Amino acid sequence: MHSLAAAALALAVLAPAATAQERPLRTVVIDPGHGGLETGAKGRFGNLEKDITLAISLKLKALIEKDMGFEVVLTRDRDVDVSIENRAATANNHKAGLFISIHANGSVQRKAAGSETFFLSLNATDEDTRRLAYLENNSNELQSRIDPSSSDDLMMILWDMAQNAYIKQSSRLADLVQGELDAMLGTRNRGVKQAPFRVLTGVACPAILVETAFISNPDEEQKLASDDFQNKVAEAIYRGLGVFLKGKG
Amino acid sequence: MADKNKGGISKQALLLSALALVLLVLVIVFFTGGGGEKVKRFVETNVPQEPVAPAGKAAARTVTLFFVDEDDLLHKETREIPAGPAASDEAARALAELVRGSEEGFSSPLPPGTRVRQVFVTKDGVATVDFSREIVENFSYGSTAELAAVYAVVDTLVSNFPAVKRVVLLVEGAERETLGGHVDLSRAFLPDYSLVAK
Repeated sequence: MHSLAAAALALAVLAPAATAQERPLRTVVIDPGHGGLETGAKGRFGNLEKDITLAISLKLKALIEKDMGFEVVLTRDRDVDVSIENRAATANNHKAGLFISIHANGSVQRKAAGSETFFLSLNATDEDTRRLAYLENNSNELQSRIDPSSSDDLMMILWDMAQNAYIKQSSRLADLVQGELDAMLGTRNRGVKQAPFRVLTGVACPAILVETAFISNPDEEQKLASDDFQNKVAEAIYRGLGVFLKGKG
Repeated sequence: MADKNKGGISKQALLLSALALVLLVLVIVFFTGGGGEKVKRFVETNVPQEPVAPAGKAAARTVTLFFVDEDDLLHKETREIPAGPAASDEAARALAELVRGSEEGFSSPLPPGTRVRQVFVTKDGVATVDFSREIVENFSYGSTAELAAVYAVVDTLVSNFPAVKRVVLLVEGAERETLGGHVDLSRAFLPDYSLVAK
């Protein structure tokens, strides 16, 4: 429950008084899934999820920096282990306006194929729902009024659920990115889904997790390992971001 | 002669004491060995039983298990397991069947070698399932596989056992952040039947 406390406190110290919605977007955080000893899913031909995700993330970073002029921060820029809470903390410490986690999928079924985009779902209990309602009504206060030395359990829990204040924006971002992936990749469109992914729960900005294609599927593994496909994935996500930012006005 | 006799006696004494020593060792080995057997048997009774077909008059019950089909959805499969005594016993058997695999050609969502160490159901409806380390060590999960593993377990327990409303997953008796880097294990899971084939 308190695992994201560090990220929360860091955000509490750094966050400006303005609300998240009003804050101008300056920084995009890209999260290449897995890394180091944690390889992620493995392909039949020996390709590892951690290497594919890093390659795509670097291409996406280059695109955004070249044409959008935003600062891009990667949660890792080489093959190293990064804890899940540090990935969220990177976003929060840099006051990120968007968080995009890049993954390659894996199933127990070799035939499983396609691309999908996730945003967070919470396994909401009644208690969680009450906290969520509080969070939605008080998200402005959260960023300006938390005493960093506070050890209030409720505040810790709320920070652990920070992403819940951004669910609607995350849903819209997921729709737009998935639309571009569908248009560009020629993979099966598995759609937009919600899942309780750990890396998204503590991120205090719109956040999505892109499952580019299945590394467990031999055909898609070979695509994922190719420069051409990686470029297309990066381009599709980049376009999705562009539409999202335009819509924000 | 006397010296020789003395020497003979002491040889006999030596032989006797050697024999006594061998006997003592045998006795020790007998008792400790027996103790070892007892310990081993005790341990075995605490290991989840291999699934066995209900024999003779033993009561059976039908459970619905969730395996992964070709469309990558969870496919329902019914199976008989020995009934009782407690819901937690039946739950452990149902999950052991989930690991053992499909009889209709589908894939198990749990890695081979995974054992259910314990299932504990509290009065407020939370089932805590403790899996052996194989659930994390014997597979490199992608998101889809990880979601299938978690929700096959959660859906199996909640749909078969009315006493279970939510499920917590442990590995080797300890809380874990995720199985393979994706699905958050820190909160109790409600069932999600959206992954189930219609």
